[in-house]
Amino acid sequence: MGDTFHHLLLGFSTALTATNLFYGFVGCFIGTIVGVLPGVGPLAGISMLLPTTFGLDTTSAIILLAGIYYGAMYGGSTTSILMKIPGEAASVVTCIDGYAMAQKGRAGPALAIAAIGSYIAGTLSVVGLMFLAPPLARFALRFGPPEYVSLLVLGLIVLGYMTGGSVIKNLSMIVLGLLFGMIGIDQMTGYFRFSYGIVALGDGIGIVPVAVGLFGIAEILATAGQSGRPEVTKPRFRDLIPSRQEFRESWWPMGRGTVLGFLIGIIPGSAHIISTFVSYAVERRISKHPEKFGKGAVEGVAGPESANNAASCGALVPMLALGVPTGGIPAVLLASLMVHGINPGPLFIKEQPTVFWGLVASMYVGNVILLLLNLPLVGLFVNFLRIPYRILYPTILMFCVVGVYAVNSSFVDVGIMSVMGVLGYLLRKFDFETAPVVLGVVLAPIIEVSFRQSLAMSDGRYAIFVQRPVSIVFLASAVAMILLAFKPLIRKKRGFRDQLTDAEKSG
Amino acid sequence: MLPLGTHGRPGPGYFPLLLSVLLGVLGLLLFLRGGSSAHFRSIRWEEAKHAAAILACSFLATFGIEKLGYRITMILILGFLFGVVERLKLWLVFVLTIGLSLGSFWVFDSLLRVILPRGGFGF
Repeated sequence: MGDTFHHLLLGFSTALTATNLFYGFVGCFIGTIVGVLPGVGPLAGISMLLPTTFGLDTTSAIILLAGIYYGAMYGGSTTSILMKIPGEAASVVTCIDGYAMAQKGRAGPALAIAAIGSYIAGTLSVVGLMFLAPPLARFALRFGPPEYVSLLVLGLIVLGYMTGGSVIKNLSMIVLGLLFGMIGIDQMTGYFRFSYGIVALGDGIGIVPVAVGLFGIAEILATAGQSGRPEVTKPRFRDLIPSRQEFRESWWPMGRGTVLGFLIGIIPGSAHIISTFVSYAVERRISKHPEKFGKGAVEGVAGPESANNAASCGALVPMLALGVPTGGIPAVLLASLMVHGINPGPLFIKEQPTVFWGLVASMYVGNVILLLLNLPLVGLFVNFLRIPYRILYPTILMFCVVGVYAVNSSFVDVGIMSVMGVLGYLLRKFDFETAPVVLGVVLAPIIEVSFRQSLAMSDGRYAIFVQRPVSIVFLASAVAMILLAFKPLIRKKRGFRDQLTDAEKSG
Repeated sequence: MLPLGTHGRPGPGYFPLLLSVLLGVLGLLLFLRGGSSAHFRSIRWEEAKHAAAILACSFLATFGIEKLGYRITMILILGFLFGVVERLKLWLVFVLTIGLSLGSFWVFDSLLRVILPRGGFGF
């Protein structure tokens, strides 16, 4: 405990330097814009802006990128409440009661409750991150290659199950991503694999061109041709203050949303989206007035908005403690650490205390910045919604090109982005999820090296994966998850996965 | 062909082969369950023309960025998208194209020190 507070002091001394405060502010500001603008998700936003952090030191870079991440979670609620258009998928549930409140003339209080709930959830879940990540990392130090393989297999299968749509399609996308990750020089033997004489492919295909192509370019391709200027109401600052009753009705949903969101956030897959559904369902179930839900119940805004912010923080636990990302966004954050020469894994917290604790402290500071940004400046952010899409998408394309080119100063990366854009567009058309591809690309080198080391350790016997207790627990959980995936074939009933699929399509 | 190695000493082709087999099995499962999916004919492609134009720009960026330079490539792409595809007013096309191309170059190259390519004329 004493150690934790000592480290936290170190973190605050890092986060509160003028430079890091500035980058935290810039990250939160850009993140809010990314969240507000429909069609620019946090994953594409972080990927595009990753190269701008190359000149920064590691702590400033990760503070800036994390700011964009949780800023986008904050910003997503604005369009949901004012226009019934979710800025990103985790804000879909907020549309229901948030927009209903706006129609009743309570848009301001809905925005304020969303911002306050996000602030409370963001701040409290950092406490969870602070206390959970270091012991988890110490535990993971006992893992050998077989445990890592089993953990990653479990993580990928959970991802396949927890992402919306068909589980078979999701698993196919994970395997496709892993195969993309095989391109380049084999780390163990130095062989060139699948590079077809293109020297630039020797280093493999980077996560940034893949993520920007699959999310940025594919999104532009799928939504191009939209016209018209959206009608947006601009709430005044004095209209933002919720009534005493609205405050009273929001505290407990915020608390429950925070706990649920943080715990669900640790699970791989679309955790931030799932957490909003679970929170909404819980609030409606325990409410004394369930009939008010869907007609402007403030609990329907407070719970889900707190949950999605807590989940985005929970998702950082496995990434920082184990070096295992649970979704596309943590995967890009992980890649940014690697660009700065840091090897993520169980030793990260011990070897890089300034970066880890600086990030933790910056998240406390960032949540205050976001609260200060989102309430008084809501009118400014709403103005971004007035930019016509036909002006917006060429600008996004420009940022995609410059962002991808700048990573390696290579036109091959821009080509990979273009190809991934086509692939992502077609995959979306045929109802395939693209986030599992990104995760596959990131995890491919770790899972392959651990797999080959495990086989070398056991002289080629696959039994090594079921002979070690921790490994067998992971694998048994993976089998249980596969069996759960087969359940809909026997029992045809709409479950949370169907709702998740609908949310991801509308987000 | 990539060496597969043995089970005890897997080579560089071992894991990709396993993944290919797995992808094949998953593909077969998808094929067998294809009957329960929506028909291809139900997929709408109304944005296809716009998408083709954007893709062409994306590939122009791939092949032009180092030969023509960042600024000229972006002027061509943005001018085409704003002027030809979206048919904005001429003055707006000019302002947006020049402003965004040169502005983004200044922000990234001059301000953030991200080196962007110059073309034949040093532009």
